[in-house]
Amino acid sequence: MTPALTLKGVSKRYGRGAKALDAMSFTIPSGSIAGFVGPNGAGKTTTFSVVCGFLTPDEGDVDVLGQGPFVPGTFKGKLGVLPQDAELPDRHTPVELLTHLGQLQGLGRGEARREADRLVELVRLGDRRNARIATLSHGMRRRVAVASALCGSPPLVLLDEPLAGLDPAQAYSLRDNLAALRGEQTLVVSSHNLGEIERLCDWVVMVRDGRCVREGPVAEVTGATAVSRWELGGPVPLEALRQALPEAEVEVEGPTLVVRSRGRGVGEPDQVAKAVMACLVEAGVPLRGLSRGVGLERRFLDDE
Amino acid sequence: MRDVLLVAWFELFRAVRTWRAVALLVLYGVASAGAAYLFAEFVGLLEQAIADQLGVARTETPGAMMQDLLDSEQLLDVLSAMTGSSGVAEQLLDIPLPALFFLWLGFLLVPFFAASASAECIATDTRTRAIRFELLRTSRLELVLGRFVGQLLLTAVASATSAVVIWAVTLWAMTGVPPAPLAGWLAYYAVRTWFFAVPFVGVGVATSQLTTSSAWARVMAIGLTGGSWVAYGVARWMEEKERVPMLADLALQLLPQGWIRDMWSPGMGWLGSAVACSALGLAAVSLGYLRFHRRDL
Repeated sequence: MTPALTLKGVSKRYGRGAKALDAMSFTIPSGSIAGFVGPNGAGKTTTFSVVCGFLTPDEGDVDVLGQGPFVPGTFKGKLGVLPQDAELPDRHTPVELLTHLGQLQGLGRGEARREADRLVELVRLGDRRNARIATLSHGMRRRVAVASALCGSPPLVLLDEPLAGLDPAQAYSLRDNLAALRGEQTLVVSSHNLGEIERLCDWVVMVRDGRCVREGPVAEVTGATAVSRWELGGPVPLEALRQALPEAEVEVEGPTLVVRSRGRGVGEPDQVAKAVMACLVEAGVPLRGLSRGVGLERRFLDDE
Repeated sequence: MRDVLLVAWFELFRAVRTWRAVALLVLYGVASAGAAYLFAEFVGLLEQAIADQLGVARTETPGAMMQDLLDSEQLLDVLSAMTGSSGVAEQLLDIPLPALFFLWLGFLLVPFFAASASAECIATDTRTRAIRFELLRTSRLELVLGRFVGQLLLTAVASATSAVVIWAVTLWAMTGVPPAPLAGWLAYYAVRTWFFAVPFVGVGVATSQLTTSSAWARVMAIGLTGGSWVAYGVARWMEEKERVPMLADLALQLLPQGWIRDMWSPGMGWLGSAVACSALGLAAVSLGYLRFHRRDL
């Protein structure tokens, strides 16, 4: 399947300053929800701006949806973006703005109006649909901006810090809405909140100093398919486990059993889990907790 | 083309909801009202002078001696000064005087209004990056042309507002001016002032593409507009004195003011000037676009 987004050796320097992007290269598979993570100044926002054509790269190639670099005229309605630092045109109401943007994406007026109505309900702004954007709170404006990115259901959507400034209930609701798009649209979500990325995304790209330092399925990057920790309420049946899992490293850390798979096959974690459970049941050892991998945050910090 | 019209319509709504544009519009309306009132007073003074010359009683309300005024040398002198040509002035005597004043005032004020209002149409959105929401969906060229057309629509609103204000003030302050013909002439001349404003809207849109500061864009636009009047004066002087006639002729072709004389034409001669002014406006926008289409936004 054609990747939704590919960057190869993209570099960008602002004036005579340091490189904001330094041979940035990564691939986002179609239909995934990809996390785009990195510290401040890593180049996340610059990357999004280059992909959208707001900034011209000094070198390198950008391929959007397998059709080359983004050009507004030919990509009408195929790319949605939530820019992190762009203010909304605030003289209009959310419905007016979204209708206008929908029309610019090629929708007819009636269709664009219906899409605007759908989106304001999606981001829970139905009661402020006809209020000037200038009168909305920061969180509400953020939701209008998210709605603009989703307008017309583009196949590729870039969201730069979509949950920043939202209260917990709004963030939960929006995360649910974004998760529901899995498989239908490709979402690239930039965020500092790695827990949020881990919950929402199935693919992750880690960037640092303008370069991609790690990319792949979230489960693989965090080691969730390779490491599992079992908190037990009794003595560990170590010998039985080692016999049942000859291809794995089985260790005991206090009351915790740690199983490390040597391979990284997708089906393997389930086989490991079945074998461990069978041993525990046979030995009559109660299970008090289970965790997989090291967590995205740990992985990110380990890489520093 | 569809995108240009969509952006233009959205731009017009944005502009009329921006306090600066509304303030400029109101200011322009107030200036028109004040100028119309002063013009009526000026007509009254001319009529009093004519009454004194004829040895008849002075009239209270301006316009009461309109026919005598139209026959007078004083009025011809005034019109010659306004149009820059005594030949053209003689052809205009059948047209209601307030309409001629409106056209003269429009040539003088509309350029500054147009340049000032349009100077912020792109710069502000570039600074706040609000421009990105539209630029993701339409090309830079269509966006710039859309904003240009939107500002032209705003200028049309300003010209129409000025015409309505002058019509109302004239009917209130003067007598002997038939309302319907005056309204017709004002509407007709509003179109001419609008065409004359096109190059100055172009200048505003051009400067707006060069910077992210709307204040700086406005300073440049107003400076260039004022500078064009100075350059026009110099070119006319060079033409009269026959100094470097080729340069003077070229300047008069490239400056919007060089087309004013034809704009006064009572026939259809002004249409050529309208085309020239439109071309100058597009040329100005294009000069700004040379920078805008390459810059990082």
